[in-house]
Amino acid sequence: MAARFNVCPNCEFHYPLPAPDRVRLLTDPGSFREVDGGMQASNPLGFEGYEDRLETARARSGLQEAVLCGVGEIGDRRVALAAMDFRFIGGSMGSVVGEKVTRTIELAYAEELPLVVVSASGGARMFEGVYSLMQLSKTSVALARYVEGSWPFVSVLTDPTFGGVTASFATAADVIVAEPGARIGFAGSRVIEQTTKERLPEGFQTAEFQREHGMVDRIVHRLELKNDLRLLLGILA
Amino acid sequence: MILDFERPIKELEERISELQRLAGESEELLAEISRLEEALDAARRRIFSNLSPYQRVQVARHPDRPNFRAYLEALVEDFYELAGDRLYGDDPAVRGGFARLLGHKVVLIGHDKGADVKSRVEGNFGMAHPEGYRKVKRLYGLAARFGLPVVTLVDTPGAFAGRGAEQRGQAWAISDDLMALARSPVPVVSVVIGEGGSGGALAMCAADYVGMLENSYLSVIAPEACASIIFRDPGWAAEAAEALKLTARDLKEHGIVDEVLPEPLGGAHREPNAAIEAVGVALGRVLSGLGEMDPKTIRDSRHERYRRIGTHAGG
Repeated sequence: MAARFNVCPNCEFHYPLPAPDRVRLLTDPGSFREVDGGMQASNPLGFEGYEDRLETARARSGLQEAVLCGVGEIGDRRVALAAMDFRFIGGSMGSVVGEKVTRTIELAYAEELPLVVVSASGGARMFEGVYSLMQLSKTSVALARYVEGSWPFVSVLTDPTFGGVTASFATAADVIVAEPGARIGFAGSRVIEQTTKERLPEGFQTAEFQREHGMVDRIVHRLELKNDLRLLLGILA
Repeated sequence: MILDFERPIKELEERISELQRLAGESEELLAEISRLEEALDAARRRIFSNLSPYQRVQVARHPDRPNFRAYLEALVEDFYELAGDRLYGDDPAVRGGFARLLGHKVVLIGHDKGADVKSRVEGNFGMAHPEGYRKVKRLYGLAARFGLPVVTLVDTPGAFAGRGAEQRGQAWAISDDLMALARSPVPVVSVVIGEGGSGGALAMCAADYVGMLENSYLSVIAPEACASIIFRDPGWAAEAAEALKLTARDLKEHGIVDEVLPEPLGGAHREPNAAIEAVGVALGRVLSGLGEMDPKTIRDSRHERYRRIGTHAGG
């Protein structure tokens, strides 16, 4: 399955893809240069247990944080790319994810590059409290500047993308692409069932559901994703 | 409604009124009354000057706490309310329109928790659907078009989590508001008057000035939900509230908000007028201080304000 980037050869189910593999999937070999790779979370609220969680996440993922950012080429076109990694505390967004995504947006703006952000996130990171919440605003002010230029911002939504990430940069894009079957939404279905006691329909919040409700432009198979981006960038960039 | 930690206050009040009924000319009883009144004052001071974060959350949620309607009544001379998102419907959980507020022409927007059972249910207890957030975006646009400052009064447990809200793009609607705020060419002035629940609050307070009433809160997640996830037990909400640093004072200390607005002893629900006045004083001062500012300066300073929030090591 590794050769198929975690897509099941039998049922085509898209399993979560680690960020380094995502970069390998999308960028031309040898073209990617990571930026801010060493940036680490601090514990701004002194939240008990957060440091342990960070250490475990680092050890398990081999990453410093839940997003990997840099510049690479997609079919010979330079793009700024941020890829989130769900293995790192559920891809949650705290100060570092917010800062790295913001710097990627700023880099794209400064170098006049298209911006591609691949999301996989349970939402804002609770351990950083309101600092996490404020990353929604931080990424938004950076994007507001980016969209004054004429370079495209493409958001790729993968399983799962929820909460603060969906409520900020992941849905503020010019074009939104989603992987088949990815669960995408604001609140998770368990929370909705608990608060409203409603039974949710089959396929609720899947990429296909969001496409049907007009929230997503295209559903693209992971192994076709690079070609899809090339097609778009070939027209716009 | 009496909160648990308010009980000693309530008991003293009841004893005092009982004695007042019986006292007549009895010097002994009158002395006892004045002793109890001192004890009441001391209890109020003791309890309310040491509220825990979770107790403040409970005060922020108190059903008798003055909400959007009370501020509208007290601070706004003229209100020309608008309705609808022009796409799907109108959401009474969030209200807004053109207003003259303490003499200033503004676009006023606020979550509306309602006044009685019927209006509370209609307004979904201040939890807006996407059409509410899209109405807000419309109002941001109108403020920009007419060069009016935006004033928001934030009071929501959060954006609604439900089937319809998801089908109609709750996350997309909030994200749009955040982008609209980031680009707004007019000053945006916010006061958190009660609950500041996550993205649903932020969509109305990523502003140039943010004041918070002393017992209001602003949080990335409700303390009960945080406790369920982190401690696997919603009963640990008090611990979660403590850890989340969600009180007005905490947020001021962390440089996230500008000002803590004082509430009367015993909380805004005990003396609504005093709380409303504190908000009025702050709004009046901030609105009067807004000089002629060009859109670029406004946007740049807002960009600066939110760009810097966060902490990290390395990189």
